[in-house]
Amino acid sequence: MGMIVIACVDQNNGMLFHRRRQSKDRAVRGDILRMLNGKTLWMNAYSYGQFGEDDGNFCVEEEFLSKAGAGEYCFVEDQMADEKMIEKLILYRWDKVYPADRRLEFDLGEWKPEEFMQMQGYSHAVITREVYLR
Amino acid sequence: MKRNRWKKIAKLGLVLAAAASMLAGCGGIAENTGEVSSRYRENTGSGTGDEIEVRDGSEIPGYDGEPYIVLDGNEPSFTESEITEDSFESYSELDELGRCGAACASVGQEIMPTEERGRIGQVRPTGWHTVKYDFVDGKYLYNRCHLLGYQLTGENANEKNLITGTRYLNVDGMLPFENMIADYVKETENHVMYRVTPVYEGDDLVASGVEMEGYSVEDEGEGICFHVFCYNVQPNVEIDYSTGESRLAEDTSGLEPEKDGAAAEYILNTNTRKFHRPECSGVKAMKESNKETFTGSREELIEMGYEACGQCKP
Repeated sequence: MGMIVIACVDQNNGMLFHRRRQSKDRAVRGDILRMLNGKTLWMNAYSYGQFGEDDGNFCVEEEFLSKAGAGEYCFVEDQMADEKMIEKLILYRWDKVYPADRRLEFDLGEWKPEEFMQMQGYSHAVITREVYLR
Repeated sequence: MKRNRWKKIAKLGLVLAAAASMLAGCGGIAENTGEVSSRYRENTGSGTGDEIEVRDGSEIPGYDGEPYIVLDGNEPSFTESEITEDSFESYSELDELGRCGAACASVGQEIMPTEERGRIGQVRPTGWHTVKYDFVDGKYLYNRCHLLGYQLTGENANEKNLITGTRYLNVDGMLPFENMIADYVKETENHVMYRVTPVYEGDDLVASGVEMEGYSVEDEGEGICFHVFCYNVQPNVEIDYSTGESRLAEDTSGLEPEKDGAAAEYILNTNTRKFHRPECSGVKAMKESNKETFTGSREELIEMGYEACGQCKP
């Protein structure tokens, strides 16, 4: 059992450009919080910057990836957990390409796809929720 | 020494031909001492406020496989007095060669488009050629590249906002930054200061690339902050930036260009949007005010939205 990692990526698996997230969408945050239904979501202060006004059960720690337990949800933006420590990967994929100097480096072909679900965002026409299992 | 115009890479010891001062609210360039370049202003003393920006000292590195590079530690050079929450867009006057200069905006929802983009094919930016290569996405080497992307300010056929840019510059270089700004503004309803400056070497008609700067206003750059240079190159194609002519790169095998037919003279009816051979009887009946002579390829005209006359079948 490992942690459950949630991240946002663009069409090229990009995540960050110069230490800033590529994009954000309140519809993604809403979907995550509905999915968690009150369960704890681990993140760091940078990510809390976008969740701060949402109503959820957040645990904000800079070293959250080493503190979250098995089966717990972690929202990751400017770092990434060791692939071996993840049991489930939930990606929200933007429908565009943004500038990137940091990407998700996992070979998703090595993961078992469980779900692909398209949703409409607030500021993005289409966002795809992709769920992968180890 | 005569320089080799057929260069794959624009090595940029650059004079920016940006008539930046024509930009309301965006003429100022803060002095900075960045990693890659530092800039200063040279006032020509013309009294009109015309200024030339000179990129001083170190050069922008040649293209090395990435569509953009970071300038000045990624810090844009907007001055405090330039940064505003009031949406605006501003364009430089064309220079004496007909080239675009810097374009600047405070991008907000107020000026973002609410309808689909219109036709822009009637604008022929400097160095424009209609040329196709099979291996280029969409085949056409050149796009009419908006300096301020349509999705940000809704500008259609504004000749002060369109340059001759490769497909690669348009899609791989500039578009990701435009996307980032557009979605940020839609999500936050904030504003983003945005400036795009085409960079020309000497009297080149085609820009070597564009300098792009962005800065989100209300959150003081927390959401958007960049300063990059995007290369106006196309992999496997060599471009003569002085004219816009192009050819397959020498070290490329198995890739062939698909050039359009030779240029010819046509007579356009700007009212009916038809084009004719000069000797066509329809030309004689055409009102002088609707008549325009065009030299170029048939394909260019079609791209500009014109239809061939059914009588003379040009």
